Amino acid sequence: MSTKTPSEADILRPINTFTKKYIALFGVCALAFGAFLVAWAYQLQKGLVVTGLGDWGSGGGVTWGLYIGAFIWWVGIAHGGIILSAAVRLLGMDRYMPVARLAELLTIAGLSAAGFYILVHMGRPDRMVTSVLGHYHITVNNSPLVWDVTVITAYFVLTATYLALTLRYDITRLRDQLPDLFEPVYKIMTIGYTKEEDRVIERMVWWLALAIIIMAPLLLHGGVIPWLFAVLPGMPAWFGAVQGPQFLTIALTSAISGVILVAYAFRRAYDWEHIMTDDVFRGLLLWLGFFCLLFLWLQLQQNVTGLFKAPLSTSTAQGATLDHPIYLLSMGLVFATLAYIFAQTIRPSLFTKARAILSGIVVLTATFLEKLLFVVEGFMHPEFEIYAATPGEYFPSAIEWLSLAGTIGMVVLIFLSVSKVVPVVELHAIEHLRGDHGHEHEEHGETAAEKEVKA
Amino acid sequence: MSTDDESFHPLGNEWENELETMLDDTEYDTELGMEMAQDAFRVTKGELSEAEFHEKYHEDVMEEFGEDNRPTAEAFEAAQEEAKGAASRMLSKFEGDGEEGRREAMKKMGAGAAAVGLGAWGTVENGNEPDPEPDVAAAAEEEEDPYEHDRTQWGMALDLERCDGCLSCVTACATENQLDSGVNWMYVLEFEDPGESANTNSSLARTSGPSPNRLIRPCQHCTDAPCEKVCPTTARHTRDKDGLVLTDYDVCIGCRYCQVACPYGVNYFQWDEPDVSTEDIAEHHEELGQGDHMTDDRGRWVDSRAPRGVMSKCTMCPSRQDGHMGEEYVGTTACQQACPPGAIQFGNMSDEESDPKKYAANPSRGRTLERISPPSADALEESLDGADDDLESVLEATDLDEDTLALMKAVEITGELGTGDGKLAGYEREFQEALDALADHGLDLDSEDVLVELDLADETDEDEEFDGPSVEDAQQRLEAFTGSPESNFRLLEDMGTNPNIVYLGQEPGPHAEQTEPTGATSLEYEQLSYEAVNGETIDLVDNRKEVLDEETVGDTGWSL
Repeated sequence: MSTKTPSEADILRPINTFTKKYIALFGVCALAFGAFLVAWAYQLQKGLVVTGLGDWGSGGGVTWGLYIGAFIWWVGIAHGGIILSAAVRLLGMDRYMPVARLAELLTIAGLSAAGFYILVHMGRPDRMVTSVLGHYHITVNNSPLVWDVTVITAYFVLTATYLALTLRYDITRLRDQLPDLFEPVYKIMTIGYTKEEDRVIERMVWWLALAIIIMAPLLLHGGVIPWLFAVLPGMPAWFGAVQGPQFLTIALTSAISGVILVAYAFRRAYDWEHIMTDDVFRGLLLWLGFFCLLFLWLQLQQNVTGLFKAPLSTSTAQGATLDHPIYLLSMGLVFATLAYIFAQTIRPSLFTKARAILSGIVVLTATFLEKLLFVVEGFMHPEFEIYAATPGEYFPSAIEWLSLAGTIGMVVLIFLSVSKVVPVVELHAIEHLRGDHGHEHEEHGETAAEKEVKA
Repeated sequence: MSTDDESFHPLGNEWENELETMLDDTEYDTELGMEMAQDAFRVTKGELSEAEFHEKYHEDVMEEFGEDNRPTAEAFEAAQEEAKGAASRMLSKFEGDGEEGRREAMKKMGAGAAAVGLGAWGTVENGNEPDPEPDVAAAAEEEEDPYEHDRTQWGMALDLERCDGCLSCVTACATENQLDSGVNWMYVLEFEDPGESANTNSSLARTSGPSPNRLIRPCQHCTDAPCEKVCPTTARHTRDKDGLVLTDYDVCIGCRYCQVACPYGVNYFQWDEPDVSTEDIAEHHEELGQGDHMTDDRGRWVDSRAPRGVMSKCTMCPSRQDGHMGEEYVGTTACQQACPPGAIQFGNMSDEESDPKKYAANPSRGRTLERISPPSADALEESLDGADDDLESVLEATDLDEDTLALMKAVEITGELGTGDGKLAGYEREFQEALDALADHGLDLDSEDVLVELDLADETDEDEEFDGPSVEDAQQRLEAFTGSPESNFRLLEDMGTNPNIVYLGQEPGPHAEQTEPTGATSLEYEQLSYEAVNGETIDLVDNRKEVLDEETVGDTGWSL
């Protein structure tokens, strides 16, 4: 651990600095996002024909592709982020307090990217409000897509509330050192603040965290997102109960990877070695390993049940998946990460920053590929596979690939912008690291993972 | 475990006694409870109607419990309409719902036993099943025919053995709806089915000899359409008046979830600007006084090709069904009218006398009606002028041969002629008129001599009385002429979609795979085209991806 003492000045550094590197990164991301916006405008003008998509069946294509794959990927990252943050509060995993707010922001940014993908994917996004909201009272009874929109919206609101509530404490106390430029924002965010509310807010946040933790597996990435696919008997590659847990593990691996990358970026940019210590990353990495294991375990379940003596259509679909180089690559990447993580727990010297970052990138690549292939494979091997043009052909078009760069740019832009306005590390975390528990933070027992890390 | 003792209950005496003890413990009348239980069993055996049961015990129940919310005969009729699962309904009339409520009710009425009797609704067929609930539900479900509707339900019977793959229906559909290349709302494919027996009968179905397996694939217009269920906007909906599953082009957001959820692959998204403009379509049809061929009776845009960014599929021609094209088009579709062998039978699936129902009920008869064109009554009268009225003379004087006449008569014997208002009914009337003309001339087609000569009745011995034509012989005659299909199926029925298309012929098995080209004459989709209302020639295309790839930005030619 670093000998430096974390201070308010540390967490204010992103707000009070303005470097060339920042401008450069902002420029690159804005360019990526802007380029995709232009491409999207072209798509709106020409129609979705500019994508590599087509009609499954006699039409020889696939209906959904990268847009939906990336949508699930972003939602996964987003959901995992808030789960991590909620776990910090609920289970008292104080070690991860310094990255909790980054995880929350990752949720907001990830959900924004996912929501954006829904629009991009549609033939008539202009009708979102009239057609979807206008018939909501009917469609919410049947359509998994409407459940999705509902739950994602609920999650966005929950997370934003969570973030807004916890920011009040920080902004009030740090107000003097925050730039006057954003005075109106701070005023709105801290409206009616009194010191007495701290305890109330802490309780509210605890309950929000509880709601999030419960909702995540039951409704969110273990629920409505996989149900988009898992409930359709016409597509044996998707149909079945394993999708729920599988989606959840993929979300959690993606999210932890995302948090590792974001946290490392901030640590590097703002010299936060003493705040986001190596211990935090060792811990995160161990959790990543644990979820990688679950990920592979559930893939194994699906492969064994799908191949041993499954109905013909199921074994065809599963066989095609297992034979697919992208699937093998994805599983191989996850397995390699798992192997590394377990190795570095046995021999701590194997841990390096670069390797931790690489693990994050590798896992995010693997989960993206898995999601992309998952969506596409459904259409390739439907139950009714009589058509000569099935399995169809699909390769994402340039515009679809650009969307990936564009949304990554968008998410980074959100981080870059938010970090200039409010502290992305909680004041609580600093206080906690300094050992002054002025706000009477309740101490909890260490988790198994923490013990292991220490060991 | 039961039946050999004297108990009325399938679970036996022991169980019955236990229940009796249980009843004794309550404040209510044990005897009444047991009596009711016994009668409840009679209801399940059909010896007593449910309404009679209610009537019989109404007074007793009133006396014992001071209330009886169970329906009496009149009220029962109404309740029968809406409710399912007899036992649970009858119980719930006493009190409560859910498990606790039911137990309460059982106790209160002193009728643990009555409930046991009611349980018999389920257990009667399945003596060792102690839990009545699932069986009751299953029984109720069994009774419910998913293909029964109270209203018009447009649908089709598709005779796969009669289809010769000419793709006339595909072209007609594209023309009717001004579809882009590759948008094959109607699609016909040939398939090989390794492991399935060769289709032996189909050689009789068509004059051109045995056919390969074919599948005609329009939208199935499912009663429980998964596409409609998943739609986040209600754009995909079932039209109340006639069960057509349609897409409201003004509401659809183009999420394509319907295409994802449909197990049949019948949806085609409008990926780009359609080849024929909305204005051109409207102008063309309005000039003909047919409306715009897009807006249906309810004022919703559901017909013709979709505009950019929304989903489309076979509509079963709502503009026709709504009478916009004239009364003569109601009950027809473009594909059905274009089909030379009459393999597509379109009509109201709720009407036993509609074309598809009639055809599916007796495909050989339907095929014969399609295949034989009897001479008109006038022509017959003319050629019979001066001829004798015996069979030989009649056949000699007319174009009719004995086989044709026998088939015409066989059609009459196997079903009433001219019922309903479909196309087949029209054919039947032609048959009727021709047969009437022959009868008017004096040929007694119902006489033993003629029927025996035509192989439509057995010769009688001298002491027997002739009992008219033999329906069996007539049916055999039809089947010998035109075969009868291998099977009668609905596509992917186990998906629970309840499709409104009945197929006659070889059902594609799980190994079935399309072979190309389609059709007896090795016809390819690419050889066909139609002239759009804007004067352009639009080519038909089998695999639409080839068309779409032209507009893909950065098409690599790779595939995942």
